Amino acid sequence: MEIEIISFGSISEFIESQRIMVEGISDTDALITFLQEKFPELQRIKYKLALNKKLVQHNTKIGNQDTIAIMPPFSGG
Amino acid sequence: MNSERYNRQIILKGFGNEAQEKLSNASVLVIGAGGLGCPALQYLAGSGIGHIGIVDNDVVSLSNLHRQILYKTDDIGKLKSTTAAKQISTLNPDIKVTDYPTRLERKNILELICGFDYVLDGTDNFESRYLINDACFLLKKPVVFAAVSGYEGQVAIFHVNDGHFPPTNYRDIFPVAPLSGELPNCEENGVLGVLSGIIGTMQAAETIKLITKIGSPLINRLLNYNLLTQVFYEITIIPAYNTYTMPKNKSEFIEQGVDEDNNNQHFIDIDGDELLNFLKMESTILIDIREPHEYPKLNTTLFHQIPIISLPELLTQYFEEQNIVLICQHGIRSEAAAEAMKEKYGVNKNIFNLKGGISRWMQHFITLT
Repeated sequence: MEIEIISFGSISEFIESQRIMVEGISDTDALITFLQEKFPELQRIKYKLALNKKLVQHNTKIGNQDTIAIMPPFSGG
Repeated sequence: MNSERYNRQIILKGFGNEAQEKLSNASVLVIGAGGLGCPALQYLAGSGIGHIGIVDNDVVSLSNLHRQILYKTDDIGKLKSTTAAKQISTLNPDIKVTDYPTRLERKNILELICGFDYVLDGTDNFESRYLINDACFLLKKPVVFAAVSGYEGQVAIFHVNDGHFPPTNYRDIFPVAPLSGELPNCEENGVLGVLSGIIGTMQAAETIKLITKIGSPLINRLLNYNLLTQVFYEITIIPAYNTYTMPKNKSEFIEQGVDEDNNNQHFIDIDGDELLNFLKMESTILIDIREPHEYPKLNTTLFHQIPIISLPELLTQYFEEQNIVLICQHGIRSEAAAEAMKEKYGVNKNIFNLKGGISRWMQHFITLT
């Protein structure tokens, strides 16, 4: 299936916003494992996912054409 | 109330004298008179907020001027809170302005906040942001939050009930503050002045909407803005039940600080999985403190070899890295070294100890040779 990844802040420096084909990934936990392997930089910072513009608070099913936002905390003022 | 001054907003459909009255009866505490605080303060003062408080203990410097638009070159070296207070009082002498040139701390924040109806978070560091979040949770004060990073900004309102969800707060998005050095701030990362202007102005707009009850304020919604693409991306904030605990009263709030200070005073134990994360972390040095004859030998491109027999040397050596990870065979000598290192560096560095040492996490080390 195809999903859209939208990255924010410092995460966009190593994950470009993109549409990607993922196979065998049915939920957000599996996606996190996939992303951390593909983009090891993710392992060293805090970030939050939003699935179809809703914050992900626990493992959630992902479907074809879903949008996943990945954002780090911002502190600048 | 000088209605001529506010005429152009009073004549707005849906605004009128009633909304203006609400503004003049409202009080807003702006914490941080920097890139976000300056534009926010100007518009809040202009709109006729009855009482504005400004908390900032910093002084104006030359590199602030491209974005902190209340200050002039002549103001370099002057206190921001006092200078900003003077500026906005000149802009609107009909409102009350109080400046607090004090450092925001756990022991003074509740007192500072309790006299105001709303808080605008324009700070530039995670420590202050979590402090404001937790204090306002305790006092049930609405917070208009904003932050910038590079060419992007975020705005949200916390601690306000929208009638659907329970009020959400910053910890629903990020339950735990990032380690110092984990993410860059403006000083390290840079920021385009106009971005702070846009985001700070949006913060003022949300504050005015919240007070006057017009439109749909960003309650339970995190708005992301990208200056380079002019794209907005809104995320609905869902409460994160049971992932963090909040103080229930003042003594718990103060206690929370003691806990955090304790964490700062002590080194942190890590396991093998965490160790692997540290290998890729920026500003991190991993030190194998075993003696040269000990086995297995570790990959010296990943691990520095500084035997503990030269602990004094270890302690006098200067490390540029923010995170120092200490490793030995069983995690006993490294614990002692971590304790000594923490004593030396205090809160300025994060010190980690691989609990159980190489022997417990042998499988992890095998993958690294």
